[in-house]
This record gives sequence, structure tokens and C-alpha cells, in this order.
Amino acid sequence: MARRIRRRIAIWPGITVALSFSLLTISLSSLAAETRGYVISMVHTATYYDEQTCPDGTNGSRPDVLIRRVMNDGYDREEAIRIVSSLRINGGRDDEGNLVGSAIVLGGGASFDGDQSWNGFDFNPANVPGVLPDPMAHNAQGRYAIGLNLNDEVGPNSWEHPHTGETGIDNQMWRVLGCWDVYYVNKPVNPYNEGIAWDTSVDAMPAWLISVTGEDLNSDGDVTVTFDRAINIPLRDSYGSIMSGATFAVDSNPRSHSEFKGRIENKILTIEPGDFYMQGESQFYPHLQFTETQLRFEMKQDGSMEGHIGGYQPWRDYYHYLSVRGETDGMIDLIGVFYDLKRFADAKPDPVTGENTAISAAYFIEAVPAFHVDHNGTLLADSVGIGPELSGPAVSQYSTVEQ
Amino acid sequence: MNFSFAQKIKLGLKASLVLAVGSLPFNLAAQTSVNEDQITFVRLTAQQYRNSIRDIFGESIEVNGNAASIGVREAGLMAVGGRRLSLSASEVESYEVLALDIASQVLSPKRRNTLIACRPQDENAIDNACAGEFISTVGLHLFRRPLSEAEIENYSAMARAATDSLGGFYVGLQAALVGMMVSPEFLFRIERSTPNPETPGTRRLDAWSRASRLSYFLWDTTPNPSLLAAAQSGDLMFEDGLNQQVEHMVASPRIEDGLRAFFSDMLAFDRFDTLDIDTTLYPKFTKNVEDEAREQTLRTISDHLLNQEADYRDLFDSRKTFLTPALAALYGVPIPIRQEMGGRVPWVPYEYPENHIRVGLLGQATFLSLFSHPGASSPTLRGKAVREHLLCQTIPPPPGDVDFSLVRDTDNLEFRTVRDRLSEHRDNPTCAGCHMLMDPIGLALEVFDASGVYRTVENGAPIDTSGEWLGQEYDDVRELARMLKEDPTLTSCLVQRAYSYGTAREPTRAEVQWLNTTHSQLRSEGMRWQELMQRISRNPDFYTVPEAAPKEN
Repeated sequence: MARRIRRRIAIWPGITVALSFSLLTISLSSLAAETRGYVISMVHTATYYDEQTCPDGTNGSRPDVLIRRVMNDGYDREEAIRIVSSLRINGGRDDEGNLVGSAIVLGGGASFDGDQSWNGFDFNPANVPGVLPDPMAHNAQGRYAIGLNLNDEVGPNSWEHPHTGETGIDNQMWRVLGCWDVYYVNKPVNPYNEGIAWDTSVDAMPAWLISVTGEDLNSDGDVTVTFDRAINIPLRDSYGSIMSGATFAVDSNPRSHSEFKGRIENKILTIEPGDFYMQGESQFYPHLQFTETQLRFEMKQDGSMEGHIGGYQPWRDYYHYLSVRGETDGMIDLIGVFYDLKRFADAKPDPVTGENTAISAAYFIEAVPAFHVDHNGTLLADSVGIGPELSGPAVSQYSTVEQ
Repeated sequence: MNFSFAQKIKLGLKASLVLAVGSLPFNLAAQTSVNEDQITFVRLTAQQYRNSIRDIFGESIEVNGNAASIGVREAGLMAVGGRRLSLSASEVESYEVLALDIASQVLSPKRRNTLIACRPQDENAIDNACAGEFISTVGLHLFRRPLSEAEIENYSAMARAATDSLGGFYVGLQAALVGMMVSPEFLFRIERSTPNPETPGTRRLDAWSRASRLSYFLWDTTPNPSLLAAAQSGDLMFEDGLNQQVEHMVASPRIEDGLRAFFSDMLAFDRFDTLDIDTTLYPKFTKNVEDEAREQTLRTISDHLLNQEADYRDLFDSRKTFLTPALAALYGVPIPIRQEMGGRVPWVPYEYPENHIRVGLLGQATFLSLFSHPGASSPTLRGKAVREHLLCQTIPPPPGDVDFSLVRDTDNLEFRTVRDRLSEHRDNPTCAGCHMLMDPIGLALEVFDASGVYRTVENGAPIDTSGEWLGQEYDDVRELARMLKEDPTLTSCLVQRAYSYGTAREPTRAEVQWLNTTHSQLRSEGMRWQELMQRISRNPDFYTVPEAAPKEN
């Protein structure tokens, strides 16, 4: 259990008597550690591309997916373009007036009945992607990708980190996604489908919290890192960014509590591998879970943190995220991604089939300072620092840290 | 051609409204003598209009809009300026639109049977008895006095005309109701006074006008049936009857409406209408935060003065307030969160820790933002506000040739803090006289930026909040607040403002004497709000009108 600051927030008419257990905790914790709280302000797949990433070109976006599907039904490219272009006008008919069933967008609640069925399937193939052939999409290649060395090895399929130079980066998820236009971006651009899902979910989704506890978080040393779900949602500032300095009550249900031993070296926070689980309630992440989780966060001067977290993720989780959003918003070929996730999965073999069930992955994380309290209002973590430059210069009156 | 219901009403009303408004004895912004009677006008505020409609027709009636234009502040109060307001043609039109909407709700099929006691014999024809009953009953509440026979006949004729031309009894009633609602008798508090036989040379309000003055003063709304009954019986003209009503009203929870209205006026909340804090510079000051800041101040005052029955002076160094999650983030403090998500904004009572820098009303985002520039804090505006709104002092306007270039150069690396930049004004004899009154107060508040966020440095330089108040030195705003609350001017200003707010005029010399005495007594007793309201409301002079009112014209 992380050592935490435990101070009663003054709630008048005055909650002045704390339980003896809490008093004991106060006296012990005040001798030693400080705990800083954060709220995650952005999560998305860690993207990186350069000229080596997709030497054969990208897979394009949704129209390219549809045109390829129609061409696989025997149409030449010109007619396939005409068919796809007329989808909204006549439902996608060829030059002879025949409805072309393959010219249809999968997933995301697409309707399949009557004439809308795809080549005889009267159900959504996104739900059973294995019934369709593998379209053999392009996969990311090259030397560099964002991520973490999860297995402490440098293998033939591992990458090199483009910014830190670390080798042995395990991120096979990037091989699957890197050549889809929607993911073929570098920061500060976010992958559109995940970015918009986050942006539309965050106002209704209980926040994701991080805390860091240590003797002196301004210096190098061992720390404890926790992840928790809040019971309340984040606030926005006038830029639409997540407001720093807000208070979040930690969900007392332990299902979304993950705790790691960690270390700060030169303002870089890392952890020892462990399991991670977070319930999501977002349009994209109903949950996020990894085994052998690692992270690398930069603790910035303004009090915020930025970096990436990764681990081995059940690959069906990611397929589920994409299929719920569908090809309309996902802008990928669901069938192609399904086969690639299965092909590049690199961990957790199924004891019966031997097929890997998890894939190495990495996600960008940004987090801003926040107060954490428990359901009684007891302060668990302090909001320290002003947050990103544009979030306003709030200075905590509670800080136990020299600023 | 087919017309919608609303179109029919509008068509039927066009001519009759002009007739109705024009036919009433109506001379705005003027004091009218009709024999010995004297009439003065005070326009209802937008909130008073809403409250009146709510109390007459019920909470389910929506007032969709605001026809009242921004008022004028006089003698420190919008309420006093309200005596100067007239109605422009466009405002009459806006009130008409509002009245049409309200009347259509009141007389809608789902409400009419609840709100109208009688039923017409034929819904497609006029029923004079029922129409007259409706007009006299509703008219009593709208005009805050009984309607004369001529007025009832006037509005009945309007109802008849509309019924005949538009073919429906309730359409006719709507026309009459709209006619009453655009009448100055509703839109203005029309105070009628007669020579005071007990004190020659003064005039006293009649019973109906007393009821209105008392009701809008204490509850910010139209007189309730009990008060109207006391006016009808004449009890309000006598000490016992008046005291009985005052006691009841001050003890009622509705006293909070009156308190909120008064402090909104005294603390210049009308500035919220034009507040334009630059959210690119102060991103935490969202529109929601702005609204919540206003509510925070009113909740704090209301709880302190009414629920806690505490001393007004303690509002200035109290550590107790109420916060929302967004306000807590602005102020950089943690609050308990008990609401999972969604729903109404969760307000929580909160007490800043001992020695916290943010205390009292001056540490709230309302005061700090209302008296700032859009892109920078302003010690001058804040100091001026304390002097004028809290201490009832007057600061003359700056001369026309002041050079503001250095003060506005907020990125100047030679003069990093506003204290440095303002030194030019303090050193200039032309400016120094006023700036010495204003700036020291505002400089103590410089640890709060234009949005109310706490800071310790400006342009990298530490902020010096020290100063001097009446010969005593202070280091920061906490010490200034303690000195301010000890200053008798703070409380005498409250007493004077409250009296002026209720009478919508400045006190006469005789009244000032009474106010001074009352202030001394209250100050020694503890400056309780309800006691102040009781004393003012029971004072016979509160219901008098100065014989000579030169500013009335």
C-alpha cells in the first residue's frame, strides 16, 4: 500500500474528529512521503512514423478499403470507384444496376438485412471476421517505434525507440496499425478515431487517476505508482483541455486499482513490471488491461506528466474497440486488422490452441496535476504544480513540496 | 387566410395595447401631482419581474427572456437608479412579447381551469361576469392594488373586443392579461403618497404602496395575499399591523430572495452582464465558473447572515464558503467529492485551512474578476470598488489626459509587477490623491490574478502585498481584511445602502440621523442582517416620501 498524505479536508461545520486509525496514519505519513496526484488528460495508441515505416505505401482509409473489397468481387478499379462513390445515392450498384454487397462499411452498428446483406451474409461480418478472407494489409516496418522493452530482450521483431534510442522495444500492435492512414501520424497529431472517441467520452467517463508517492519527488529515488478510476468526471478549461488542480474521489472498488514499485531518475518515472487494469466506460476503451506493464513518464517542470505505458494486451480487446467504433469512424479494414492482430500477437499462448492471445502494445499518456480524495473526503494525493502552460497558474495551498 | 393562435392574439392586441398603455395616467420619470396625491415610479428589475410572475401565476410559468434593459447606478445602487428609468418603445415591444408568451401559458387549456376560478357559459363568446372576475382578481396582484371600476371596464372591453374579433373567450382574456402586463402599473412600482397628517411637511405612502415597498425590499417580489389583505384592511398603516407583517416576512425563508437581490445590487453584480475575462489568458475561468462564482458569493453571504445569523463584518475574513469542483480547481484546493457523475452542480460547504491566504468576500472570484481588466488584474479597480461599494465613498474619475501606457504594459521587464508600474501614478501629484486611496487596497489583492487564481509572482518578480490602512501597516490581504472589518465605515455603509435600496432614494438628513443611531446600536449588538431588516422595515420614515424631491424630475 502506498504511503499517502492523509489529511482531512476542512468541511464545516467541521469534521474535526478522525478515526484513531487515520490519526495514526497522519502521524506516520507526515514523517516521510509525499504523494502527488494526477488525472489522465489524454490516452491514445503510441504512434510514430518515418520514411521506413510503410515503404510500400499506406493502406489508405475507408474509401480505399471499400474499393479494394469491391475489386476483390471482380470489378475493375474504375467501376469499383463508381460503385463506392454511389453508396449514398443508390446503396452501391454496379453499371448494370446490381447491388454490390461488398461495398458496405462494417462494424459500428451497421445494419445487415435484406438487400444490405454482404454476399449472402445477413449478419455483420465484423462480429465474425474469420469468415472473410484476409485482405493482407500493409504492416509497419522499419527500425523505429514508440514503446517499451517488455521482455528485456532484443529480438528480430523488436524496434528501437526513436527518441531515447532504447532497443528491444516490444510493440507488435504498431505493426498492425502503423500503415493505416488514421494511425500514420506523429505527435502532436492524435490518431483521429481514438482522439475523437476520447474527446466525446471524457465528459461522461469517470476519470483515470495516477498517484506517485516517494520521499522526495523532486529528487531521484524509489516511488510507488498507482492507477485508479475516479467516481467523478474531469472538468474542462476554456481550451477544452482537462483542467488541472481539480479534485477526484478515488473509486473504492479495487477492480481498477493497480499498484507498482517505481523509480524516478532524472525526472523520468519508470516502474517494475506488473499487471494493469482500468475500467473505461468510454466509446473506445471499455477497459484497458496489460500484463508485464511498464511505463516511461517524464515528470515535467509544470507539474504535468507525459509519456507512454505499455504491456501485453489481449488482442481481442483492441479488435473490440475498433469493431464497436466500426469502419465509419475507425477508418481501417476491420477484417484486415483482425487477421493482423492475430498474426502479430506475441504473448500469452492459449494452452489448448497454442495461439498467442496477447500482443505487445504502447499508449501515449498525458496527465495533469489533480487532488485525490477518498469517499470520506480525506486527502490522498496533492495537486502540485501549475499543469500545462495554458491551464492556469494554480498553486496548491496544500502542497508539502517546495515549489 | 389562417392565423396561428399566437398570430391571432398579436393581431387582436396591436391596436388595443396602444390604446391601453396610452390611456393610463402615465408620466414616467416624473413626479405627478393629482390633487394632493403624489405618484412616483420605480421600475421592476428583471428579477423582480420574474419573481412576481412566479408568485402570481405559479412556478410552472416560464419567463422566457428579459425585456428590461441595463439600468443605471445612482448613489451606489441600481435600485436608486431604477427611479430614473422610463420605457423605450422597443422595451414596450419586448415586454409585450414576453407578456404574450406568459399569457398564453397562463390561459392554456391545461392551466386555465386551475388558475381561473370561473368558467364561461360559452367558450366561443364573451362572459362578462367571468371576465370581470378574472381581471379584478389577477389585476389586484399585478397592479398590487385593487383595480378601479373604470380599469376593470377598460380591460373587460379589451377582452370583449378580442373575443368578438378572434372568436374565443380565453383569447379575449389573454388580450386583457397582456394589456395589464404591459401596463406601467405592473412594470413599475407606482408609489402613491399623501400629506402626512402626523408630521407636516412630509408625505406618507398609502397602504398599497407600503405593501409593495415592503415586499420588494424584503422578498424581492410582489406582495403576497396576506400583505395585500393587511393593506386592504388598513392594518399596514398602523404600528402593530406593520410589525406583524415585518416579523412574519423577516422570519420567512423568502427573506433570502431579498438578501440576494440587495447584495447583487450593492456588490455590482450587474458587471457580470459585461464581464469579459480573457479565457485565453485565464483558461480556468470558464462561463460555468463565472456563474458558479456569482452563486458562491451569494451562498456565502446568505448562509453567513441568515443561517448562521453571524455578524456582517465577519464576511470579510471568514474562511467558510461553498465550492463546486470547478471553483475548487480555480482556487487550487481539494474538496470532498460525493457525487458520482452528472446531475446538478454539487455545492459543498468548505472551510479554508487556518492561515490560508484566501479569506472573505474579497478573496472570491466574483470580486476579483468583476474588478479586473479582461487581461490583467487591476489594483486600482479593486481598490476603487472597496471604497465605493463597501465603504460608500466616492472616488472622482481620472483626468482625461492620464497616460496609461506603462500601467497597461503588463509584460514590461523593467517594471515587472503592477506595483512598479503604478508607481508613476502614485508619484504624479495629479494622480496621487486618488491612487493613494485605491491602490494600496488593490495591491494587497495582487496575489489573485484577474480570474481569482492564486499566484506569488508576476513576470518572475515576487508580489509585494503590504500596505497601510488608516495608519496601520499590513503584510497581506488577510491582515487588511481584519482591519477593514474593524472600520465603522464598512458597517455604516451597509446600513445606509440597505435603507436606500428599500426606498430607492438617498436618505434625507433626518433619516441619516436615524441611520447613524441605528448603526451604532447594531454595531455594538453584532450587525445581524435580520435585525437590520426589522429595524428599517419598522421605521415609519421608511414609508415616507420627501416633500421636496428635486432629483425626481
